[in-house]
Amino acid sequence: MPNKFIGKRIVRNEDPQLLTGQAQFVDDVEIPGMLYAAFLRSDYAHARLLSIDVSAARQRPGVVAIFTAEDMGDDWQPGPPLVSPPPTAKDVIFNSRRQVPLVKDKVRHAGEAIAVVIAESRYIAEDAVEDILVELEPLEAVVDLEKGLVAGSPLVHDDLDSNLAAHLLQKKGNYEEAKSKADLVIKRRIVIDRGAASAMENRGIVANWDAKSQYLTIWDTTQAPIPIRNGTAARLGLSEHQVRVIAPFIGGGFGPKMMMFYAEELVIPWASKRLARPIKWIEDRRENFYATTQERGQIHDVEIALSRDGHILGLKDVFLHDSGAYDPYGLTIPLNTQCHAMGGYDIKNFTTEVSVVFTNKTLTTPVRGAGRPQGIFIIERLLDIASKELGIDRMEIRKRNFISPDAFPYEHKIIDQAFAPLILDTGNYLPVMEKALEMIGYEEFVKNEQPRLRREGKYVGIGVVPFIESTGVGPYEGARVTVEASGKISVVTGIGTQGQGHFTSFAQIVAEQVGVPVKDVRIVTGDTAEFHWGTGTFASRGAVVAGNAIHSAASIVRKKILELASKVLEAPANELELEDGLVRVADIPNKSITLGELALLANPLRGAVEPGTEPGLEATSYFGPQYGATAFGTHAMILEVDPETMMIKIKRYVTVEDCGTVLNPLILEGQIHGGVSLGLGNAYYEQLHFDENGQLLNASFADYLLVSATEMPRIEVGHFETRSSWNELGTKGVGEAGAIPVPALFAQAVENALYDQKLEILEMPLSPNRLFELLHKEKSQ
Amino acid sequence: MKIEGEYTFDGPREDVWKLVRDPEILATCMPGTQSLRLVGENEYEGEMSVHVGPITGVFSGRLVVSEEVPPESCVLTVEGKGKPGFLNGTGKVQLSEQADHRTLMTYTGEVQIGGRLAGVGQRMIDTVSKSMIRQGLGTLNEAIKARGVARADAKEVEYTPPSETKFAAAVAKDMVGGFLSSKLIVWLVLVLVAVILVIVWLNVK
Repeated sequence: MPNKFIGKRIVRNEDPQLLTGQAQFVDDVEIPGMLYAAFLRSDYAHARLLSIDVSAARQRPGVVAIFTAEDMGDDWQPGPPLVSPPPTAKDVIFNSRRQVPLVKDKVRHAGEAIAVVIAESRYIAEDAVEDILVELEPLEAVVDLEKGLVAGSPLVHDDLDSNLAAHLLQKKGNYEEAKSKADLVIKRRIVIDRGAASAMENRGIVANWDAKSQYLTIWDTTQAPIPIRNGTAARLGLSEHQVRVIAPFIGGGFGPKMMMFYAEELVIPWASKRLARPIKWIEDRRENFYATTQERGQIHDVEIALSRDGHILGLKDVFLHDSGAYDPYGLTIPLNTQCHAMGGYDIKNFTTEVSVVFTNKTLTTPVRGAGRPQGIFIIERLLDIASKELGIDRMEIRKRNFISPDAFPYEHKIIDQAFAPLILDTGNYLPVMEKALEMIGYEEFVKNEQPRLRREGKYVGIGVVPFIESTGVGPYEGARVTVEASGKISVVTGIGTQGQGHFTSFAQIVAEQVGVPVKDVRIVTGDTAEFHWGTGTFASRGAVVAGNAIHSAASIVRKKILELASKVLEAPANELELEDGLVRVADIPNKSITLGELALLANPLRGAVEPGTEPGLEATSYFGPQYGATAFGTHAMILEVDPETMMIKIKRYVTVEDCGTVLNPLILEGQIHGGVSLGLGNAYYEQLHFDENGQLLNASFADYLLVSATEMPRIEVGHFETRSSWNELGTKGVGEAGAIPVPALFAQAVENALYDQKLEILEMPLSPNRLFELLHKEKSQ
Repeated sequence: MKIEGEYTFDGPREDVWKLVRDPEILATCMPGTQSLRLVGENEYEGEMSVHVGPITGVFSGRLVVSEEVPPESCVLTVEGKGKPGFLNGTGKVQLSEQADHRTLMTYTGEVQIGGRLAGVGQRMIDTVSKSMIRQGLGTLNEAIKARGVARADAKEVEYTPPSETKFAAAVAKDMVGGFLSSKLIVWLVLVLVAVILVIVWLNVK
């Protein structure tokens, strides 16, 4: 039976509320008697804390309390590990050093919180922060990854022998042997620098300990309210049922709002309990630049071995990964890089070795893409270089190396971010790439258009880059679906929402099963009082893991509806159909009952609920995939470079995405657009510049360039559906896909545009300035 | 951040040296300096207000003069911190005699900045610091010239240091100068005057 709701372009249920300013964000929470917090943060990246004098600050009228690490006593504990630590195995080193609530002995990055002021207003709190006298002894900062590992380097963590946070070596096949048989070996150094996630809404938290009911309510801009609830309860010695974490509407997550247990998330609930007062802290943009986690920041020494006909014989990647001052998020990012450095290519021999380095910079944790763009950049750059060296067309060399569609499920034979072997469930790369080539008119452009424009003196280039994205990892999510007496459906799930359209796409999944209009399905996400179990929204897993849990619960409710209706309508269940909130007998349309009436019958006021059954038309179900689902796609672009100013104009942008079953093309396209805009930022605009003392030099949107509407191209999105074989809905994630191939694509297109220059792009992000420098460098050599 | 440059004073080296080593004069020549006190041999403490684009605030800090070779050269070490962040720097100042009783000052230095000043002020810091140095040295030169004139006339030295506002205005002008040519400003003023006249005329009617 064709789908009625799934796959349909349905406008979003949540939009009227959002567009009319009626949606509740954390900063909208107002509680009588609420206090406001401001943090004293370090100006230094690395410094010993000698003394803090808060006496003058305490005197300021309106100041209620000031807390330092010392004031927290035994409650001062580093945050919990945020992901399972890597298994103890040969070739694995992992030194866990986690962020602290307030600096006790040593500042490890600029912006680290030293003290918190709680006052009657934020103004007073900010003023009191300036009254605090803090004596810091500046230390030499660890900024450069390579220098950080040299013996004698200053140490970020004095109790370690070096700044090595982790080391991991993975091998598939035998690279050295493959290399000995190769016709061509290419070696390069590739550098990928840091950027910010720049969510529109900064972080914020309101904590309210009600001493009389012994109950703590927290509103938090978190992508993962349940882990925050569990961890907070444990830290404060409360039952999980005494703590409710609400993640209301959130203006963008992109990774840094996962279950981070930021200093503020550790301190504010603690202070609220201590003072028995509600406390609000809302991050400002400058704080966000220093205290909210960031990503990218890797140096790769890569080698690829090929045969004369362009087949990849082996790949070797030895790289450094910048962890920042602490490493609570384990090895997720570098593992993703390792998993994606082979792209969608059949590479038999792969050696990948990462050293994670502590530096005196803000922590890195996953930001949309999470290590994957780095992996794709490496393999795609190497293939572009190989194509030139071997004289094989750049599309052809990719086609020759794709994993063939009959090889799935394909074992990549290295471990992924969940420390499970990476297995690609399904894939069919060639048709997706061909569709992208066709949509952008590759043949015609290369044969006629580009030569014509070049004759006119224009520098126009085309790029086409395929990619894969591992998505939808475990452990699990759950959902409860209930038919209410009104006939409307209520759905609750544990994950949070930061703009992904869950209130619509999840409603479509449920509507499909129980036959009600999508607007009659009310979704609740991100409230631990509504659903007790789950992990969170990250790793492009919402539609896969929560989506399938919701699908499963809705299927059970459908069965319950049919069983009860079969009794009431005296017709076999297989002759019943669910439509428009009714159950009716297929052949006798006027013999029907509404879902609301059925719900009342399932929850009677008199009589008895039969033994072995449950009241209500309700079901709770869980989905825990053993392996993730791997999505894929191809992006293509045509751009023009102004050879004098190095400004770029993107003429065409095409993406073809295969993320399995499409729930709602409108939402999917929105996800792609957002991803591409971050990808373009990572390619040509957004770069966090740190000086040699660990000072961030562009901590405002005046200097840190976000991609704006004027730089964004019109994006044409093509779809392809290869259902995941590992979940019932057949879905794969797509939240990060838009960002992943863009830097590699951009580099290819720019090189292609500047065809008469000797240019090899081996770094990201670029900028007009940097591109000019690279061209100048090539010329002067 | 590296700072380097040179400046020619209209006075003999001995005079320049004396003034540079006089905290009261020095204080008037460093834009925004609110006070400068001698606290030890060759060591000063003071407060200085800083305006770099959107960043304003008071730095309190120390200035140490070392490796002194009068009247030729010395090394200045500055440490300051406050609401806008922090600043640490070392600079070498060299004075050499020129013809016509003039003195050439060359200076090279390395300055480290941090906090808000670095994160938000980075874009302006180069222009502002260069401008501040130029304004400061210009003022010092005025003092030297005043001293020269006084000596010639055998009168008391008459020298009024510029106010902080005057400094701020001069720095602002330097920053705008990067964006607008003076010709353009003239035009802008003319257009503005025309607009005001039209508005006044319309209201009168």
